[in-house]
Amino acid sequence: MSYIDVIDKVEVPKPPRYYTPPAFETVAGLPIAYRRAGQGEAVVLLHGAGFTRMWIPFYQMMAERCDFIAPEQPGFGETPLPKWFRGFDDLTLLYDQLFDQLGLERIHLVGFSMGGWAAAEFASFYPKRLKSLALITPVGLRLKDDPGVDLFQLAPAEIMDRLFKDKAVMKEFLPDPDNFDEGIHLYSEFAAAARLMWAPRYNLALERRLARVQCPTLVVGAEEDRLVPNAMSDRYAEVLPRAKLTRLAGTGHEPLLERPRELADALLGLIEEAK
Amino acid sequence: MNKLRFYFFHLMPYPHLPPTAEFPSTWVSLSNKYYDPQRGRVLYNEYIDQLAMAEKFGYDGVAVNEHHANFYGTMPSPNIIAAMLVQRTSHIPIGVIGNAIPLHGNPLRVAEEIAMLDVISGGRIISGFVRGIGCEYFNNGVTPADSVERFDEAHDLIIKAWTDDGPFTWQGDHFYIPNCNIIPRPIQQPHPPVWIPGQGSLETLQFVARHRYTYMMVFAPLWFTKMAFDGLREECRRLGYDAPKSMFNACVPTYVAETDAQAHREAKAHLSWVFNTGLKIPDQLFFPPGYMSTKSFRNFVGLLQKGKVKPQTQLSYDELLKDRYIIVGSPETVKEQLSEYCDGVGAGGVLSVGSSFGPMPHWMVQKNMQIFAEEVMPAFREADGKPDYLRAPPPSPTSHAEFAARYGRPPEVARSLVTGGGDKLVEHRVAHLPEVIDRTMGDAWEERPASAG
Repeated sequence: MSYIDVIDKVEVPKPPRYYTPPAFETVAGLPIAYRRAGQGEAVVLLHGAGFTRMWIPFYQMMAERCDFIAPEQPGFGETPLPKWFRGFDDLTLLYDQLFDQLGLERIHLVGFSMGGWAAAEFASFYPKRLKSLALITPVGLRLKDDPGVDLFQLAPAEIMDRLFKDKAVMKEFLPDPDNFDEGIHLYSEFAAAARLMWAPRYNLALERRLARVQCPTLVVGAEEDRLVPNAMSDRYAEVLPRAKLTRLAGTGHEPLLERPRELADALLGLIEEAK
Repeated sequence: MNKLRFYFFHLMPYPHLPPTAEFPSTWVSLSNKYYDPQRGRVLYNEYIDQLAMAEKFGYDGVAVNEHHANFYGTMPSPNIIAAMLVQRTSHIPIGVIGNAIPLHGNPLRVAEEIAMLDVISGGRIISGFVRGIGCEYFNNGVTPADSVERFDEAHDLIIKAWTDDGPFTWQGDHFYIPNCNIIPRPIQQPHPPVWIPGQGSLETLQFVARHRYTYMMVFAPLWFTKMAFDGLREECRRLGYDAPKSMFNACVPTYVAETDAQAHREAKAHLSWVFNTGLKIPDQLFFPPGYMSTKSFRNFVGLLQKGKVKPQTQLSYDELLKDRYIIVGSPETVKEQLSEYCDGVGAGGVLSVGSSFGPMPHWMVQKNMQIFAEEVMPAFREADGKPDYLRAPPPSPTSHAEFAARYGRPPEVARSLVTGGGDKLVEHRVAHLPEVIDRTMGDAWEERPASAG
C-alpha cells in the first residue's frame, strides 16, 4: 500500500464550535488525523459520516474517564482521501497499522453509524485485538424487510431533521448553511462515504464473520432513530456472540450528540466489565 | 459544406403524470405506476415515426440517448431505438448520444451493439458516450464516486475493441475482460464518429480535445456554450491544431411557426415542461456524492451562488428564451437566433432543432419539422439544399450489384468439411450442385426411403 495521490486536496474548513486541531500519524504514506486525550483504558471511536473535526462534549466526557482516541478516516475531517481507497478492507488495514503506530495493543473499539460498520469489519478481521466492542446505531447488515431510508437520497435539511430528535441539539451542531466551504467539504465527505457504502449497503460476510468476535460487546440502538431501523441493532446483537443490546430512550440516530452522558456511562460500564 | 447541421433529437418523454407540485422529482423516486404501457406504446410509435420522418424532411441526423427510471426520457436502451431507426431509414446518420458506459458491467456490450448497428446501417452510426446524469446512479450498483474513472476506462476499452484485432485481454482497474474479440467489428474506420455530450467542465473539454471528438453542449445558455466552445478551441490549440467547426454541437430546443406569437402559443407549455417538469431533480439526486470531483463541484456551486446559472427547473419560459436555452419564433426569428449559435459561437451543428418537446402532440411536432425544414434549413445550406451526408459518397454500397462490383468475392470464401464427406472441402457457394454435394452423401443418401423425398 502506498500513498500515491490524493483526490482533491483542498483546504478543510473549521467548524465554528468544538473545533480542535488534530494530531497526524502517517500510515502507509497517508497522514491520518486523530484527536486523543485522557488516561486509562485505550478506547478508539470510529466516527459516522459527519460531524468531523470537532472535540464534541461526548468525547470530552469519555476522555475524563479513559484514554480516548478519535481518528478521522480517509476523506473525512482532515484526513485526505487517496485514490486507492475503496473499501472497508482498506480501512481495516489502515486502522490496524495506525493502532500499532500509536502504541495501542488491545483496545476497546467503539463505532458509530458508518463507523459502526467499520468497527464490525475491523472486529471480524482482528477479533483478538479487541478488549470490547461497542456499536452505536450501526449500519452494515442486510435488513430484508425494510432496508431503511437512503441517506444519499435525502436533502441536507432532511438528513439533519432525521438525525435528531432534539431540535435544540440539532441547531447546536447544524453546519452553517451559508458557509460555502463547509458545504463543499461535506460533499467531499459524502463522496468518501459513497466509496464505502454506495452499493451494496451491507456486507453479508459480516453475518458469518462476526461469530469470531468473542469479546464483551454492546450494541446500542436509539428508540427514536428515523435514519436506521432498530432492526439493524437487533440484527447485530443476533450475530455477535457476546452482544448485549440496549436501546437509548429520547434520542434519534445521534446519541453521541443527544445523549452523551448516558452513552458514556453505558460504554464505560462495558469497558469496566471487559478490562 | 453547409454552414450548420441540424439534428432531430428525441428524448421520448412520458408526460402523463400527476401535477408537478405533487412530487419532488421526475427521476428516481416518482413511481413507475404512473407509466401506462398501453399509452407508452402509442407514444413510442409516434416518436419513432417522427425520428424516421426526419430523413424525408432533410435533417442531417437523428439522435437518441440513454436515461433510466424517469419520465423525462424513456429510453433505458437507446440502441434498441437506434436499431429500429436503422430499419426505418435509408441514408440518414443515426446518433446514439449516448450510451452511459460507466453504468454497465461489461463495456464490450456497448462496443458490440454499436458495431452491430454500424454494420447493419452501412456505417451510419454516431456513437456518443456519457457518464449518465447523477440520478442514474441511484438505481445502479455503480458508485458515483467511480463514475469518471469507469467512464475513462470503458471508453478506452471500447475504442480498443473496435480498432485492434482480437482477442486481447483487458486488465483494467475497473474491468477485467479476457478474450475481448467483438464480432461484428464496425464498418466505419477506424471506428464510428464519437460525440461527447458535456456540461462545460474542463475535464470533458480536455478529453474531447485530446481525442478530436465532437463536443455536444447539453441544454445551456448561449453565453455558457460560448465559454465552453472557446475553452475547447483553446485546448485544441494547446495540442497544436485548430478545432474544425464540426467539433462543436449545441443542444438548442427550437420551435418554429408562422409568426412569433403563434410559435410561443404553440410551444410554451411543452418547452416549459422539458425544463420545469422533465428536469425536476433535487440537487442531491443531480449530484450524488463523488459524481463530480470536489473541485468541479466547487466551481459549479460557485456559479449557482453567484446567480450565474439557475437550476433548470426554476427557469421561466422568458428566461429560457432570453438566455437562448431555447429558440422559438417565426422562421425569420429562428434563423436570426440560430445564427448566434452558428456565426456567434461557432457551432457546426445544433440538436433538438425542429424536434419534439415534452408532451407536444404528434401533429405539432410534424408542423414544427415541416416549417423548420422548409423555411429555416435552406438558409444555412448550399444551393442544393442537401444535408452534407448526401453530397458525400455513401459509406457503404447501396445495392447488391454495387457491393459485388466493389468488393467481389471474399478473400476467404465459405468452405467447410462436411462430416462423412472425407477430407475434401466443400465450397458453400456451389455446395448444392449435385456434383459437389452428392459426393458427401455416401450410403445414407442411397438408403433413404422414397417418401423422405
